[in-house]
Amino acid sequence: MKKRGRGMACMWYPIGFTVAANPSAATVKVNTDGTATLLTGTVETGQGALTVLGQIAAETLGLATDDVHVVSGDTDVTPMDTGAIASRTTYVTGNAIVRAAEKAREILFESTAPLLNVKPDQLEARDKQIQVLGFPSKSISIADAVQHSESIVGNPAIGSATYNPPTVEMDPETGQGKPFNTYVYATQIADIEVDDETGEVEILKIVAVHDCGTPINPMLVEGQIQGGISMGVGFALQEEILFEEGRQINPNLTNYIMPTSLDMPELDVGLVDNYDPTGPFGAKGAGEPTAVPTAAAIMNAIHDAVGVRITTLPATAERVLGAIMEKQELEQAAG
Amino acid sequence: MATRNKDIQQKTEELITVEESKAPAQQPLAIPTDNPVAYPLELPQGEARLRTPAVGQRARRPDGRLHGLGQTQYIDDITFPHMLHAKILRSKYPHARIVSIDTSEAEKMPGVMATLTGAEIPENSFGPTYQDQPVLAYPIARHCGDGVAAVAATSEQLATEALEKIKVEYEPLPAVFDPLEALEKDSPKVHGGDTNIYTSKVIKKGDVEKALKESEHVFHRQFRTQMVEHVPLEPHASIASWDGNGRVTLWTSLGRITLGREDLSRTLKMPQSKIRLIGTVVGGNFGGKNEITTEPVLALLSKKSRRPVKLVFTRGDEFISSTIRHPFVMDYTTGVNNDGKILARKIRLVLDGGSYCSWTGTTIGKGSILAPGPYDIENVLVEAFAVYTNKTTTGAMRGFGAPQVCFAYESQMDDIAHKLGLDPLEIRLRNGFSENSLSPTSQTLQSVALKESLAQAAERFGWKENQA
Amino acid sequence: MLVELKVNGEPKSADVPPETTLLKMLREYLNLTGAKLGCDVGDCGTCTVIVNGVSVNSCLMLAARANGHEVTTIEGLANSNELHPLQEKFEEHGALQCGFCGPGMLISAKNLLDKNPDPTVFEVRDALSGNLCRCTGYTKIIEAVIDAGRVMNTEQANS
Repeated sequence: MKKRGRGMACMWYPIGFTVAANPSAATVKVNTDGTATLLTGTVETGQGALTVLGQIAAETLGLATDDVHVVSGDTDVTPMDTGAIASRTTYVTGNAIVRAAEKAREILFESTAPLLNVKPDQLEARDKQIQVLGFPSKSISIADAVQHSESIVGNPAIGSATYNPPTVEMDPETGQGKPFNTYVYATQIADIEVDDETGEVEILKIVAVHDCGTPINPMLVEGQIQGGISMGVGFALQEEILFEEGRQINPNLTNYIMPTSLDMPELDVGLVDNYDPTGPFGAKGAGEPTAVPTAAAIMNAIHDAVGVRITTLPATAERVLGAIMEKQELEQAAG
Repeated sequence: MATRNKDIQQKTEELITVEESKAPAQQPLAIPTDNPVAYPLELPQGEARLRTPAVGQRARRPDGRLHGLGQTQYIDDITFPHMLHAKILRSKYPHARIVSIDTSEAEKMPGVMATLTGAEIPENSFGPTYQDQPVLAYPIARHCGDGVAAVAATSEQLATEALEKIKVEYEPLPAVFDPLEALEKDSPKVHGGDTNIYTSKVIKKGDVEKALKESEHVFHRQFRTQMVEHVPLEPHASIASWDGNGRVTLWTSLGRITLGREDLSRTLKMPQSKIRLIGTVVGGNFGGKNEITTEPVLALLSKKSRRPVKLVFTRGDEFISSTIRHPFVMDYTTGVNNDGKILARKIRLVLDGGSYCSWTGTTIGKGSILAPGPYDIENVLVEAFAVYTNKTTTGAMRGFGAPQVCFAYESQMDDIAHKLGLDPLEIRLRNGFSENSLSPTSQTLQSVALKESLAQAAERFGWKENQA
Repeated sequence: MLVELKVNGEPKSADVPPETTLLKMLREYLNLTGAKLGCDVGDCGTCTVIVNGVSVNSCLMLAARANGHEVTTIEGLANSNELHPLQEKFEEHGALQCGFCGPGMLISAKNLLDKNPDPTVFEVRDALSGNLCRCTGYTKIIEAVIDAGRVMNTEQANS
């Protein structure tokens, strides 16, 4: 018989390395036609980092995403970066990029302020223009601004900068300290059915609401959440490396079961409206947190459905059925 | 001078004439009709990329265009002239002393251009926290995925055959596989010494024993998680090549090339300025491609053979040799009041730390800090240990311990709610972090959105409507 | 041995050792590196191509077996002016992240839509069940396939 159950789980997760310095450096160069190049030492591992980092540079410079070309991943060319790890890219590398782009932008402000008869701190970069704050019709296109700065004034618009999240060392005896500069939060709720005769769990739907600060690119954050949930589903119900005397007995994808398109349920994903002033344009991060609460939500749903508490993952059909039968035996013995 | 050139010219003409008279009548050369692959060049990539302001746009990713066309160049898609293929021989035993390695038979095979063993590596150790991991195991192999020798040959097939010709004499050593067993005094020691515990962490706030005694209810449960693999669809891959200036370039699927260059500088004992790491688009990382694996081996094979050398992990290699997620054994003891307010939480974490440290330092740190959950708890004690076992190296995997501890603390939360007759949503809202809450390490938390995520998720799900 | 076949409508041939798989022939002899090697034993689907209208794991098929047949690979979907509707929709929906499963996924999707232009969500999931993806959770991929199907139906109706 199929029993329906629902379970929720919430979580918190930090951005960046634990206490240890994990800086990123970035260089931004603006071209004489108002397009720009961003140099970053991070590597695109599929999460869309290069797109998001390009958007951050574009925003700071007042350009559109398409105007910025992102160059990454070459130790001869790109500046240092601690790497695409610990969900740090948007926050740490992003902050470095904001600072680098601001430096390039400042050069343009200095060069064009005399042309507009204002002081540099009266200017902003927006909609591909360098324009006067509060009086945007007084402006010069970014392309013209770079032309002027580079070819007349003799100051090319280039900026390099670094960022490292500030932390406080943890006491070696008590662990008290400030290991991270920011954290993200999330809740996932699973709607499932358990077949109490086979122990099989079918996930009908998962709702996920995540905090990532400002979503620089909402489409990419959704993708991260959906992907993270699929890893969570595998962790909860299917995946396990099996050993016999130290040898893996299923080192292949035939016998190491991970979610296929048929295993994944409908996903309803939302973002909390939040802004972290320490992050680039309020952004925090999303890479890992997405995979954290899923298994717990599913286990709680199993408990809701059939009253068994799974304490060892994965909750294979065998394990769930075993727990159901054990519970039935206990109930019979008591009754 | 002019005479000499004319001599050469004349001799060349004589040669051609002689050869032509010997050559049979030829058919005219067929012109190849190898049409290039067709694709559009200037199709726009959506409105969102053209809009300002840029932040918040659902901008298409430019690598999406290349992915869809099949044009993205992953490492395995890259070839170089004269490129060799490398393979690595892995340990026969989960724990063994390597008595001898004889690569001579392999070297004799035509097409095998270089072999390598651990003894030849200038600095045969690496690791993000402790440098306890060898590039190629020597003299001790500590798990079945430990590389012991490597070959570079003109084809993958040949390289695989050459591995079989390498003679390794092992002296098997007692091995330990279960992390709780590895904690015991008389268990075999994976790295020698008198303990397998290689890193530990304590988080202590308030007085947990006193608060547990004062709690109206105490809940205890042990939770366990399993070993899982990242399964990036793209296996680890790298290519190494040297130029005449003694500079080595590595194309690699590594997720952090700056630190990778430092690792190579250290293991090869070379200045960083002579090393170039190029990270291409990686086909999935999830934490498993965050440390060097075969890069120093390829650099040395390439140096020996003077040819570019590529190695792509087989799917089997991915499982046995790349890092995996730490299994946790978690003991949670939580004291609460009748109204569901958590007064104390005591946690013991034992991490199966695999054969080498890798990213365990970070995992135990994060895992410990996150273990009490996103809840206002005044009295906290977390004691965590990581032990060596003779199994696959446990490293960074999406969450660094968070998925494991979340499974434990959220399962227990529902146990508590169930026992006290409280709604799982209510008990979380009652205890959850708010702006300026103190974390288990007494950090004042800002930009906290936990309760918002709970409330919104519950509403989206229809939690209150579907109350049983 | 000489293997001759048609790839994306063009005659191609290569002299390959007899044990060469179709995947290896495509990638190493014909320089068509779109199809990927993810496991080499038919588990992951990254090598998926279409042979005579059937989706196959090219890592399991000997090149010799494909002799005389028609093969469609990812490189054959677009033309000089346009993307295939599937490629367009995958891009629009952000369906691919690391992209490694992409060529195989797109080929399986094309094979589905060529035969069943108006699939249900379940039919899409089923058709793609041999293509593993670790990054996306499949959600946006499925949305993109359904959306592409709609476009292809409209184009069909209009032509």
